[in-house]
Amino acid sequence: MPGGDRLPSSFRDPSGHLFVHNGTIFRQINNSYRLHYDRLIDSGLYDTLVDRGMLVAHSHTEDDFADEYLAYKVIRPDVIPFISYPYEWCFSQLKDAALLTLEIHKLSIEHGMALKDANAYNIQFVEGKPILIDTLSFETYREGEPWVAYRQFCQHFLAPLALMAHRDVRLSELLRTNIDGVPLDLASRLLPVRTRFNFGLLTHIHLHANAQRRYAGVSVKPRRKISRTAYLGLLEGLFSTTRKLKWRLPKTEWSNYYSDTNYTDDALKQKANFVGAYIDSISPRMAWDLGANTGEFSRLAAERGVITVAFDVDPVAVERNYQAVKTNRGPSLLPLILDLTNPSPAIGWNNNERMSLLQRGPVDLVMALALIHHLAISNNVPLEVLASFFAGVGRDLIVEFVPKEDSQVQRLLATREDVFEEYHQAGFEQRFGERFHILSSKPIDDSERTLYHMRRRD
Amino acid sequence: MNLTHLTGSSLLVATLFVIAPNDAYAYLDPGTGSYMLQIILGVLLGAAFAIKAFWFRIRAFFGGLFSRKSKGR
Repeated sequence: MPGGDRLPSSFRDPSGHLFVHNGTIFRQINNSYRLHYDRLIDSGLYDTLVDRGMLVAHSHTEDDFADEYLAYKVIRPDVIPFISYPYEWCFSQLKDAALLTLEIHKLSIEHGMALKDANAYNIQFVEGKPILIDTLSFETYREGEPWVAYRQFCQHFLAPLALMAHRDVRLSELLRTNIDGVPLDLASRLLPVRTRFNFGLLTHIHLHANAQRRYAGVSVKPRRKISRTAYLGLLEGLFSTTRKLKWRLPKTEWSNYYSDTNYTDDALKQKANFVGAYIDSISPRMAWDLGANTGEFSRLAAERGVITVAFDVDPVAVERNYQAVKTNRGPSLLPLILDLTNPSPAIGWNNNERMSLLQRGPVDLVMALALIHHLAISNNVPLEVLASFFAGVGRDLIVEFVPKEDSQVQRLLATREDVFEEYHQAGFEQRFGERFHILSSKPIDDSERTLYHMRRRD
Repeated sequence: MNLTHLTGSSLLVATLFVIAPNDAYAYLDPGTGSYMLQIILGVLLGAAFAIKAFWFRIRAFFGGLFSRKSKGR
C-alpha cells in the first residue's frame, strides 16, 4: 500500500493510521481530520501537552510516500522504546493512565477540543510516566454533544480499577480477554454490594450498566443537549471517583523476597557486582529482567542507561517497583506483570492487534535471576525447552542456577515427588550449552548458586 | 434572538455537519444508554461543579478583600 505497511493495531479510526516505512514508524493524517489537527496545533494544546510530557511529540516529514488521495500530512512520532498493554500494568499504572486521560481531556476542553477516545492502549509508559501516544485522539469540542468516549473510559479504566480495588487485584486480567475493556454489566455483577454506596461507582458502573440494558436495541439519538458545565461536571466526577480508588497492598509470597532469602548481605552484594560487571561487558540497548521481583537487579541495568523492562508475576512486587520508580528512588525502568508460564498472547482483530510478549522481542539482554527453579520445577519445563525459550528472547543471558540443595528448591520439592533427574549443575550447563556459549560462570559465596553469562549460538 | 432564528441556525449547522465531507467525528458509538446516563448525570454533576466553582469565587472574593485590608494596614 502507499506509505508502507500499516501497523496491525491501527485501523479503527478513519482520521489516519500508523505505518512503517524503511523501519521507521510514521502516522498518516487524513484530510478528514485536517480541521481537528490544525486546531490541535493552532490552539496551543499540542505544545501545552508536549511541554508537560503528556502527549508524544512528533516531527513533520516529507509527504511523498503518503497515500495521496487520503493524506493531509505525515508525521513522525517520537519512538516508544517498549509497548506494554493494560493487562500487564499494576494497579497504580492503570490508575495513573486513567488520571492522565482525564487531565488531558480537561486541558483539551480549555483549548476548545475534546478527547474522542479514551482507549487504555493509547497510553504508554516512557521514563516511568504515562504518556498519550495517539495524536489523533482530539476533536473540536461542540457544546451540547455528550462525551463520545464516556463508555470507553468506564470500560477501559474505571471498571477494572474498581474491580482491582474492591474485589481482587488479579481481575485486571479481564482486560486480556476483553479488548475493549471490561463490560459494565460484568463489572457490576462482580463488584461487591458496598460499591453501590459509593456515588461514583454507583453511577458510572452500576447505573451505567442498567442504562445500557434499559436502552439496548434503542437506536434513537437523544435530542437533549449536554451543557458545557454538565460536561465538565461529568469529567470532574470521573476524575474524583478514579482518584479515590485505592488498593491496599497485601503481603504476598515473593514481595519480601529480598529480606527473606538465602543470601547473606555480602553474597547479595557480590551477586550485584557480578551482574553489574556482566551488564558492563554486554552494554545492551534493552534488557528484560524476567522474574524481577521489585526490580533490585533490574536497576543495575537501568542505572547504566539500559532501557529496562522488569517483569514479575506478583502484582504486589510490580506495584512496589512502580512506586519506587514514581518516587524517583532509582533510575527509570518499566515494571510489568507477566506470568512467564503463560505470557501475553497476541490478541484482537486477526490475532494481530496487540503483540504477544515474544513479538516484542528479541532483546539484547535477558536476565533470569533466581528464576530457573520456578520454571523447571514448579512448572515442569525441561531444561532443554527452557534453553530454547531463552535463546528465542535474548542474545545475551545472565542466568542464575539454583540447585536442588538450595533451601528454596527444597521448599518447592517438599510436597511433591522429585522427577527432575536432569536438574543439576552439569545437566543445566549441558542443555544451555547446546543453545548458548557459556562465556563466564561465577559461584556465589555462602550459597549453592552459580551466576552465568551466556551468548546465543548463531 | 428569537426561537425561530435559533432553530433555523441549528438546522443550518446540523445540515452542514451532515453534508460536510471533512467530518471525522465520532468513530466510536457513544451508546444510547451511556448518552442517556450522561444527560442525567450531567445535570447532577454539572450543578455540583457549578456550585463548587461559585463557592471558590466567593472564597476568592472574600479572600481578596481580606488580603487587601491586610495590605492597607
